[in-house]
Amino acid sequence: MTSFLTAFFSGTAQGAIYALVSLGLVLVWRGAGVVNFAQMGQAMFTTYIASQMIQNNYSYWTAFVVALICGAALGALVDLGLMRPLTSRKNSKLLNSQSMRTTIPVIASLGILGVLKSLAGIFWAGEERGFPSPVAPNAIKIGETNLAITGFDLFVIGAVFITLVLTTIFFTKTGMGLAMRASALNPEVTRLSGIKVGSVRTLGWAISGTASSLAGLLVTPRTNLSPNTLDLLLIVGFTAAVVGGLSSLMGSVLGGFILGYVISFVNVYSAPENVFIAILVFLLLALFIRPQGILGSKEVRRV
Amino acid sequence: MLAISNLVTEFDSVKALDGISFQAKPGLITTVIGANGAGKSTLLRTISGLEKPSSGSIKWQDQELTSMSVESIVRSGIAQVPEGHAVISQLSVAENIELGGLFRRRSFRGDLAVATKEVYELFPILYERRNEAAGSLSGGERQMLAISRALVSRPKLLLLDEPSLGLAPMISAQIISIVNNLCRATGLTVLLVEQNANTALAVADHGILLALGKVVADLPAKELSADSSLRAAYLGY
Repeated sequence: MTSFLTAFFSGTAQGAIYALVSLGLVLVWRGAGVVNFAQMGQAMFTTYIASQMIQNNYSYWTAFVVALICGAALGALVDLGLMRPLTSRKNSKLLNSQSMRTTIPVIASLGILGVLKSLAGIFWAGEERGFPSPVAPNAIKIGETNLAITGFDLFVIGAVFITLVLTTIFFTKTGMGLAMRASALNPEVTRLSGIKVGSVRTLGWAISGTASSLAGLLVTPRTNLSPNTLDLLLIVGFTAAVVGGLSSLMGSVLGGFILGYVISFVNVYSAPENVFIAILVFLLLALFIRPQGILGSKEVRRV
Repeated sequence: MLAISNLVTEFDSVKALDGISFQAKPGLITTVIGANGAGKSTLLRTISGLEKPSSGSIKWQDQELTSMSVESIVRSGIAQVPEGHAVISQLSVAENIELGGLFRRRSFRGDLAVATKEVYELFPILYERRNEAAGSLSGGERQMLAISRALVSRPKLLLLDEPSLGLAPMISAQIISIVNNLCRATGLTVLLVEQNANTALAVADHGILLALGKVVADLPAKELSADSSLRAAYLGY
């Protein structure tokens, strides 16, 4: 029973982080049609910034907030500085073919990933370092019994829960959220409604950057921080996004949690080295059974 | 007043619009008719900024539109209802309407509610189905929704691209007559692109006949519809 609860709670906490990564990927995919391979590179970079600030005696929370803001800024910068100029060139022969138009931004995102890793190498010598957590990683005690959940798990789950609630409110209750959904679904009609689709898209990159930056802050107390530690997270997050349907925000979050449980249960009941096989098998199964994703809708073409 | 002069729009050096000039007078319905491929849709898409012309000018109330972005053109009071009942099918009816007025929400919050109420009065069926997904509407209802989305932005010039396309004759007649009444009642300027020349000329004040990207006739609607030789030559009946 204890091992079941341990697997369940750690699965929830891990799943919450995967959900954030997956949400970030889907936001950019829906808005800009780009799979952003640089996403966790951005998160790695902002986590290093936070870590540097803590070393310089700023409080954890100051560093936390600054890292989130940097995440938003970095996301917006990637769009404004690279993606927009890359895709808006009208008279480029290379960009005239649809397949190149969709491939080039993805390759560019790999380039950004490389640049961010090199910068981390230059600024922080690429050293692996610990990253603090604001709460103790010990199991919570009631009387003398250890519960299967740690204070840090609770912190992660709480932070992600707040983020998801805020995101939901933003998308369903605000005009900007409506503009964002509309731009993703039909950019032309949205532009004809007087909405600056380009700016809305940049905002999507910024929100995605913030979400992944938060994921970086939440995962590194467990994994340590190095230029490469977050790469795995991107793979899991991407799997979660595909399982969730790639175009559905809700599905991406759900996919993240499901994957969290899969990984955590395999970890506890099988062996940690089987985790990757489990992810792969799970992805294949999901694609066979429901290729459009849990909440994705089949593409309907009107003729 | 919308004044277009020597407008040329090219696709890979094929001239879809080949030196078009005409004017649409305020408060009137001007219709642009012509066969398939005459350049009607390209004309509307060039006015609304979706296509960039290679030369020529489009003047709207002393503003030159050709250098403006789609969003600024909409914000200057020109709303386009694109071809094919363009609504966002995954959003609800109410959200589609809200979208049309979104850019005015800060400065005109009160008026937005009034404008929304007005389109619901114009198309009561949309009010009944306001919480349903736009994708579940019939073709005619979608067209009404597309027009409503344009109207809540309080346009001064309404660009309608083939509103009767794919609709039953009765429904399309109903929609055209609603637009007609709206124009007469509010002084809205309408530029109506139609393949169905009879329907369009019946309500329009002025008619422009396009063929292969050129204006071949620019006449009052009555004269254009009476000219059987023009019709035989360019519309085939």
